[in-house]
Amino acid sequence: MGAVTDDEVIRKRLLIDGDGAGDDRRINLLVKSFIKWCNSGSQEEGYSQYQRMLSTLSQCEFSMGKTLLVYDMNLREMENYEKIYKDIENSITAAHEKISECKKQILQAKRIRKNRQEYDALAKVIQHHPDRHETLKQLEALGKELQHLSHIKENVEDKLELRRKQFHVLLSTIHELQQTLENDEKLSEAEESQETQMETETKQ
Amino acid sequence: MSVLAQSASPCGRYLAAGNNYGEVAVFSLSAALSAEAKEESKKPVGVFQAHTGPVYALASTERHLLSASDGEIKAWAWAELGKKGCREVWTRRPPCRSSLEVPEINSLQLNSRDNSLVLAGGDGAVRVMDLETGTFTHELRGHRDYVHCLALREQLPQCLSGGEDGTVRLWDLRSGSQVQLIEVHKYEECSRPQNGKWIRCLATDSDWMVCGGGPALTLWHLRSVTPTTVFPLPPCQHHVLFHQDLVLAGGQGPGLHQFQLSGELRARVPCSSPALRCLCLNHRSPEHKVLTVAGNSPKIDVFTNLGYRAFSLAFA
Repeated sequence: MGAVTDDEVIRKRLLIDGDGAGDDRRINLLVKSFIKWCNSGSQEEGYSQYQRMLSTLSQCEFSMGKTLLVYDMNLREMENYEKIYKDIENSITAAHEKISECKKQILQAKRIRKNRQEYDALAKVIQHHPDRHETLKQLEALGKELQHLSHIKENVEDKLELRRKQFHVLLSTIHELQQTLENDEKLSEAEESQETQMETETKQ
Repeated sequence: MSVLAQSASPCGRYLAAGNNYGEVAVFSLSAALSAEAKEESKKPVGVFQAHTGPVYALASTERHLLSASDGEIKAWAWAELGKKGCREVWTRRPPCRSSLEVPEINSLQLNSRDNSLVLAGGDGAVRVMDLETGTFTHELRGHRDYVHCLALREQLPQCLSGGEDGTVRLWDLRSGSQVQLIEVHKYEECSRPQNGKWIRCLATDSDWMVCGGGPALTLWHLRSVTPTTVFPLPPCQHHVLFHQDLVLAGGQGPGLHQFQLSGELRARVPCSSPALRCLCLNHRSPEHKVLTVAGNSPKIDVFTNLGYRAFSLAFA
C-alpha cells in the first residue's frame, strides 16, 4: 500500500512539475523558513523573516490563482472547440444534402435539355414541309378552278344535247317529207299505169 | 483478342466481359474503384472458358449471367462465377435448320416485364425464349439476312431489330408480328452506299431510336419514322447508347464519341482500343456507376466521369 501511494505521489509530483521548478521549491522554502522563524529569537530578524514569508505566501497564492485561471480558460476553450466542431459537422451534412439536391437538379436540367433538343429536331423536320395555310389556300383555289371548269363542261354538254336534238328533229322532218314525196310519186305512177291499161282495154 | 460483350452483375459490383476466344472474365469493380486499388485489382477475379466459339453477347438476370455464342446460350450463376470449375446452370440451343450450319447468336436482350429473353442471330429470325421454362415461344421471321442487334422499347411491348439487310424492323412481342419496317439505306440523308447498308447498332428511348453501321449514325423519331439528326461521324459505329441527354457511340473511329441530340459533338474521348465494340453502363449500383468501354484490345477502359478515362482493366 505504501509503495503504491508513493508511486502515485511521485507520478503526481512529476506531472505537476510541468509548471517549472519554482512553485514546489517555493513551498518547501516557505515551510523551512516558517520553522526557522518559529525557532528564531530576535524581533527585527523575526519581523523581516515574517515579511519575507508573507511575500513568498502571496507569490504562491498568485501562481495558484494564475493556474486556476488557466484551467478555466482551458475549459472554455474546450467548449468553444466543441461548438465549432459541431458547427462544422452540421455544415458538412448540409453541404452533402445540397450536393445531392444539386445532382437531382442536374438530372432534371439534363432531361429538360434532352426534351428541348428532341423538340428542336422534330421542328427542323417539320419546317421542311410547306406551311399548312398555304397548302390549304392552294387546295381551295384548285377546288374553285375545278368547280368552274366542271360548270363550263356542263354548259357545253347541254348545248351539245340541244343542238343534237334540233338536228334530229330537222333530219326526221326531212325524212318524212321525202317519204311523203316518194309516196306521192308512187301513187301518181300507179294512177298513170292504170289509166294506160284502161285505154288499151277500151281500144280493143 | 477483342472483347465483344460486357455485362454488369445484379449487385453492380462486378463486371463480366466476354472475348472472341470464348473466355469470360469477371472483374471486381468495387476493388478497382476503391481508394487503395493496386495493379492486381485491375486484373480479373476469375477467367473461365465459357464456349468454344466467341462470346457475342452477355446479359444479366437477378441471379444468372447469360452468355451467347455459336448456336447456344448458357447460364452461369453469379455467385459461382470465377471460382474454379464453375459449370453452367443450363444450356439452351435454339432450333436451327441443319446441324452443319449453326447460326451464331449476335444479340441478347432481357425483357423483365414477362421474364423472357429475346435473342437474334445468324439465321435472321428473332426468337423469344421464356426464362422459366426455357421454351422458345415466338419466332419472328422477316429479316432476309442475319440480325446484328436488338433493342427493347420500354413503354410498348415491342422489340427492334437491325440487320445485315439494312432494315430495322419493329416487332410486337405479344402478337409476334412485324409492326413496321424501316429501310434505312433508302433515306438519302443517312445512306452511305460506299459502306453498305448493314445496321450494326441500335438503341432506343421509346420514342426515339439511334441506329448506325453502314449508313451514318442517325437519330430517328419512331412515331413519324423520320430521320431527324445525322451525326457527323465518318467511320462505322459498332455500339451506341442513350445516356441522360447524350448519345454515346463507339466504333471504328478512335475514341468514344458523345453527342447531344441536336447533333453537336460534345466530346471525343481517346480510349485504349483502336476500335470499340461494346459499351456498358453500370446502373445497378449507385457507388459504382461507371461506363466501361471495350474493343479490339485486351484492355477495358473504365470511365467514372464521361469526360476522361479513369483507368483500364486488363483482360489477360
